[in-house]
Parts: sequence; C-alpha cells; structure tokens
Amino acid sequence: MINDTLFFMLIVGIIISAGLLLLFVWAAKTGQFDDANKMLNGLLYDSVDDLNDAIKKEKNLKEAKEEKLQSEKKKEEKKEE
Amino acid sequence: MSKIKCNHCHLEFDENVMIKEEDLNFCCKGCQGVYHILKDDGLDSFYDKLGNKTIAPPIKLDNDDVTKFDSENFLDNYVSKTKDGFSQIDLIIEGIHCAACVWLNEKILYDTKGIVEANINFTTNKARIVWDDEKLKLSEIILKIRSIGYNAYAYDSSVADAQASKAKRDYFIRMMVAVVCSMNIMMLSVAKYTGFFTGIAKEVKDMIHIGEFLLSTPVLFYSGWIFFKGAYFGLKNRILNMDFLVATGATSTYIYSLFILFGAKGESYFDSVSMIITFVLVGKYLEVIGKKSAVDTLDKIKSSLPLEAVVIKNNERKTVALNSINIGDIIEIKPGEKVPVDGKIIQGSGSFDESTLTGESLPIYKKTQDIVYSGTINLDSLIQFEVTKNFKNSTFSSIVSLLEDSLNSKPTIQTKAAEISKGFSVTILSLAILTFVVWYFFGIDLGFDYEGTSQFEKSFIVAVSVIVIACPCALALATPMASLIGISELAKKGLLFKEAKFIETLAVASSVVFDKTGTLTKGELNVSKARILDDNIHKLNLLYSLLSASSHPVSISIKKYLESKYDLKIKELETVKNIEAKGMSAIYKNIEAKEFEIIGGNIELLREFGIYYKFDSTKTVYLFAINKKVIATFELEDKIKDDAKEIIEYLQNKNIDVIMLTGDNEQVASKIANELNIKKYFAKQTPVSKANYIKELKKENKIVVMVGDGVNDSVALSNADVAIAMGNSADISLAVSDIVLLNSTLNSLKDAFVISNKTYKYIKQNLSLSIVYNMITIPLAMAGLVIPLVAALSMSLSSLMVVLNSLRIKMK
Repeated sequence: MINDTLFFMLIVGIIISAGLLLLFVWAAKTGQFDDANKMLNGLLYDSVDDLNDAIKKEKNLKEAKEEKLQSEKKKEEKKEE
Repeated sequence: MSKIKCNHCHLEFDENVMIKEEDLNFCCKGCQGVYHILKDDGLDSFYDKLGNKTIAPPIKLDNDDVTKFDSENFLDNYVSKTKDGFSQIDLIIEGIHCAACVWLNEKILYDTKGIVEANINFTTNKARIVWDDEKLKLSEIILKIRSIGYNAYAYDSSVADAQASKAKRDYFIRMMVAVVCSMNIMMLSVAKYTGFFTGIAKEVKDMIHIGEFLLSTPVLFYSGWIFFKGAYFGLKNRILNMDFLVATGATSTYIYSLFILFGAKGESYFDSVSMIITFVLVGKYLEVIGKKSAVDTLDKIKSSLPLEAVVIKNNERKTVALNSINIGDIIEIKPGEKVPVDGKIIQGSGSFDESTLTGESLPIYKKTQDIVYSGTINLDSLIQFEVTKNFKNSTFSSIVSLLEDSLNSKPTIQTKAAEISKGFSVTILSLAILTFVVWYFFGIDLGFDYEGTSQFEKSFIVAVSVIVIACPCALALATPMASLIGISELAKKGLLFKEAKFIETLAVASSVVFDKTGTLTKGELNVSKARILDDNIHKLNLLYSLLSASSHPVSISIKKYLESKYDLKIKELETVKNIEAKGMSAIYKNIEAKEFEIIGGNIELLREFGIYYKFDSTKTVYLFAINKKVIATFELEDKIKDDAKEIIEYLQNKNIDVIMLTGDNEQVASKIANELNIKKYFAKQTPVSKANYIKELKKENKIVVMVGDGVNDSVALSNADVAIAMGNSADISLAVSDIVLLNSTLNSLKDAFVISNKTYKYIKQNLSLSIVYNMITIPLAMAGLVIPLVAALSMSLSSLMVVLNSLRIKMK
C-alpha cells in the first residue's frame, strides 16, 4: 500500500514537472527568453495599463490580419473581374 | 549657481542655461519637444518608469533624408513580406539606454495605426517591425521613432544572424530540459544512495530506477542529440572526438542501466548519464552565446555605413544604393559623412578620420588624386571622388566579410583532453570487445554470479561494465573543472575568457603580437613639453578660445593641458579658419576695435603666414602666434603605458617571441620598440597585412596570441589562436576577441599568463589522475570483479578526485 502511494506520487511528480517543462519549452520557442535583459525588466511593467495594452496588442494583431485577408480577397476579385 | 535636472533626459545642467517653462526645466529644444509629445500622447508614465536613470538628449536630425526609406531600391533590399501579406523590416534603434526606452518605443509604435507588430530587443537594440504598407509608409514609422528622440537604421538581417539566434534558442531549450531532468534525478539519487547504506526494499529501488529511467531518457536522446550529431560528423571525417567519447560513454551506461532495470543484478547509473550530458552541454551553450553576440556586433557595425550615396551623372545628382554603384561613377560626400566605397578624389581636399582602419587618431589630409577608403569619415569639406572599387570589394566591406569568414572558422588548437580522448576511446572500445569475446567464447565465469542469465547476457553486461567503469566522467571533467575554476580566478582579476579552451592555448603560446597604439601606448596625444613664452593671461585666453573652436585631437589635449594650469575664459573670435591638417587662424577684436591676428598650428602653417620659427623635434609640434609673434610652443606625443616594459620582459623571460605591429610610420615605431626592447617590429601595417603576418606565423606552427584594440586589429585578432582585446576597445574587436582585459592594463595580461599556466598544470594533473584511475579499475571490470558497491563508489570517487584537485588552483 505504502509502495503504491510512493509510486503514484513519483509519477505525479514527474508529470507535473514535465508539464512545467513543456510550458517553458513553449515560452522559449515563441521567443520569450531571447532577450534576457528585457524579460527581467518586464517585471516592472505590470500595471493595469500595461496589461490592458497587452490585450489591445493581440486584438489589434487579429483585426489587422482579418482586414488584410479581406482586402486581399477584394483585390483578387477585382483581378478576376 | 546650482545644478538642476532636465525634465526629459534627467541630466544635470547649470540653472542659467536651462530653458524654463513654468516649473519645468529643459536642457535643450530637443528634450522640450519630446517631453510635450509624450505628454500629449499620454505617454508620460515613461518618466515614472525611467525613475532616477538618465538618458541622452535627443539627437538633432534633419528629416529630409527619410524619403530614402520609401525608395523602391531601399524597399527591395531591406523589406520582406510576411505570409499574411504584411511588410517586415529589421532595424537597429539608436539611443536605447534602459528598459523604459524599449517600452516607450514599442508603445508609440503599437499606438500607430497600421503597425501590427513591433518587437525591440533590449540587449542588441535590434527591432523587428511588421506593418501594413497600404496604411502606412516606412518613412512615417521612422519619423515616429525620431519624434521621440531616437533614431533607426536598417540592417541587412543576415543569414548568420538568423542561424546564430536559432542555435542559441535551440541549445537553450536542450540545456534547460537537461538541467530540469538532472535536478529531479538528483533528488531520487539521494534516496537511492541513502538506501545503499541503510538498506532499501527491492520494490522501492525498482521504483526509483523507473523514475530515473523516465527522466534520463529525454536527457540522453533530446539534449544529448548534439553529441550524437557531433560524433557522427567526427566519424565521417575519420576523427574520434570528444563528442564521440561523451556519446558512447553515456549511451553504454544507459544501456547497461536498462539491463539492470529489466531484472539483471547490479546498480543502475541513469544519474551519471544525465549528469555528464548536462555538464558538457552547459559548456557548449556558453560557446553558442559568444558566437551570437559576435554576430550582433557585426550587424551593428555594418549598419553604420550609409545605405546610399549621391552619384553625379551629367551634372545631375542622384541617390543610388551602394550595391548599384559602378566603378568610374563620381560620388559626392558632405562633411561629416562616411565614405561609402573606395575611390580617388577628383575635386576638393580635406581631412579624413581613418581611425577605424588604421587605429591612428590623427586625421589625415587628402587632396586630389589621393585614395579614400570606405568606412573613413570625411571631417570638414565637400569632396567629389571617382569610384575605383565597387561596394563588395571596398575596404570596409571586405574587412567585414573577412571577419564573418573567420568567425565561422575560428582556429582551434588541439586540446590536451581531446588528444588523449582520441586514443582513449579506441582503447576502451577494443578492450570492451575483447572482454566480450573472451567471456562469450571461453565461457569464463569469474566473480559473483548473475543468476538466471545466459552466457551471452553475462558477457555483454561485463563488456558494457568496462565502458561504464571507464566512463569518461573523470576524463571529460578533467579539463572543464580546472578551467572553470581558472576562469573564475581570472574573472576576479578583471580578465574575461570567452571560452575555457583559451586557457590551454595561452599556456602553450609561442608568439605574442602587440598592436602599438592603444595597446602598448596610451593611444592619445599628451603634451610632453610646453613652453609659454609670454604668460599674459589675455593672450592665453585667445589661445584657449582658438583651441576650443576645434575638435582636432591635438587641440583637445592642449586645451586639457591649459585647463589644468590656468583659469581661462573663452573670447569671441572672428573669421575662424580651419587650415586642413595644419592648424587654424582667426581674428580677434578687442574693445578698442584693435585687430589681432592669431595663428595656431604646425611649423609649416606659420611659415605660410610668414613666421619663421626654428624648432627641431621628432614629435608632433603645435605653435601659437599672435600678430606674428610666437607666444607658446607645445610638443605632443603618445606615451608608453607604465606597465608595458614589465609584461614584455616577463614574456621574453619565458622565451616567448614578442612582436609589435603598427600602422604608424617607421620612425615612431622604432623609437617605441627600442624603448621597450622589442626586437621584431613592423611599421606601416594595414589591417589585412597584419592578418597576413599572423597567418604566416601560424604556418610556421607557432601558436599566436594577438593583443589589440582597434577596428584595424580586428581581422588580425580573428585570425590569431588567441585574441586579446583591451576593455576599452572598439565593439568589433571585443566581438572577435577571446579574452577581454576589462581594466585595460597590461598588468592584467601578465596575470592572464600566470593563471593560465597554473591552470594548465592542473589540467594535466587531472588527466593523469583519471588515467591512473582507469588503469586500476578497467582490469577489475574486465575480470567481472566489479561489485556494485565498488562501482558506485569509484564512479563518484574519480570525479571527486578531479574536482578536489582542481580546487587547488585557488590556493596561492
């Protein structure tokens, strides 16, 4: 019984650390650790405004991509005409 | 008078010179402008983020040139399209000092309609901007950056850069995976080894083995992939390298441990597998970082050249991209601009700052028919020249491409450990095979019993145990451990080694090549002798005023000298004239409107004005005359550093060849060489000839150390076995050098040699230790006599031995 519990805890521990490691790998792959200085200083910029800005950035990016897609479709339509 | 802070840049200035605006103070119009732009855009939280830090006041720029950013030529060369159809450009932003600057630039760019992405790297000042070219022109983006007091240059984001970034990220992830897994294995190992002494249930031990197996597998096959690749390429070139040793050692230990996991008797060594991979990988990662920062600096240097030049054709001026300039074109450059390509002057004459190429701080006067080199700065006049070499073959570009080449093929000398490992791998592998053959075919059954295993399995386990026992742990650790401690000792003395292997190289060096200016000498002209013939303070004031009107190094150092001796004031001069490479003249009117003609410069200039003054000197001479009467004479020279003599004596006592190379003339070179007792010296060297000399030395099988500081030394530095740069060197020299002397003194160079020699001694000791260890244990392993306890203890003991021995470097 105690061995089963030990084994269970071991596996759970490995799974949790693997999860965190994967999260880290994802962050590194998306370039979040490319600039160590900026990353460390990023701690300073966590006011409400900064967080709102971050959301705005993503929203803008999405909108811009959609707009671009539509405008390119229009162009193609024009060409076909 | 008190000093107050400027509200924008936070630099302190005298109260009187500040621009006042209610309760705000600004040091200049630029700061004031930027302050209001930030206030109006609601970006004033920048100042909270900036805190007490200061920034440079905004650079004054005329914005006429931004149209070039919209020219088709430019867009073709620097702008690429993303897959979403946006435009993308890589810029280097000038003026970034702190994280708040990065924040401000990103913020203002994101707030601009049309910009989709703006990512600025704080460390390298590189920025990648993605925008919609239907909504916004590139020039508007550049103007936006300039409006808040920064400037942006485009750079050609090279293949090398992309590769270096990718490699850095890749190694980083691999290293972190290895570190995380190894740390977890270490925790399990604590339980396992405690169980060794207190007793442990077999089930619990199996459990630990399973955990270790799960954790070490990614370390070996994901993180350790680099070593398999390295071993493969080594084999392809018929070399058994260190990678091969690490890969075979780790893999065989892993396989052995697998046998144990699936029921064979013995101890598993999954922990050793992950440890060795992790340790060696951390060392490799540091190498990759070094390479990346070298590439970043090269990009910065490249972006300092102009992107376009003004070509005159049929009396019409046209801006043309550098790549499309042809030989024979006529190019015009304004004062202060950099020469874009090599050429021959056909109209105008003026001084050129060639310090980037030759390292000499004095500007050089050039007239028609003289050759100008790319990368040099036209200081004071409008010049037209005929292009003699196209952009790719011009001096500056060829230096940059030489550097790029040599970065990729940095000479390496065979390290002691690599030398030994070559023979070591072969010996161990053949011994293991021999063991297997003997055990299997002769059916030997020595030692303790392996219950229920076949003869094949038995033989295989014993053979693998030979490799495991001979595990390169001690051998692979022998050099890194000693080097690591050596490096930290060196760092304490202000010596930055970029890679550990340079300790070894420095210890076995046979020639040391010095650059003169800035390395052996202080690199600045100082007044060595001054004679004031008339110390009337009014007259000296005039001299001081004349000197203040010039930025020539001679003027600056005399000015410094005067400031230290007298309390002088600046008077207003009229018709100040710069006479190229000779000096200056001006007119001064006193209150009674009486005119004084003042002249300051060399003997030739005074002769031109009809003053014949006899003055013999081999040094640089500056004379000052008022109304044809000489008032003061100055002699200037570059002084030898105080500790130069000591280091050269030290090197010569160690039987190391000392050689001096300089771009200066024969006279100056021989004088300095005599003073320092240097037998071999070469004057009038160009960057390329310096590099060629180093290559020749290396052909004679000499191990060459180069010590230098300027851009002119960079090619030679990158060709040497060990490149040492002074801490105050040009960026590019720091990038290509292997060792940086942070405090720029030659005394620390001596420390570098002393500590390296000591470290090298311990590396050799470590290697012999690990070989002696192997000579004792391998026969035991071959005989199948290695009982688990001995194996486990000796594995750690051998590594411990090496570590403890290395620690002795710290002892005096």
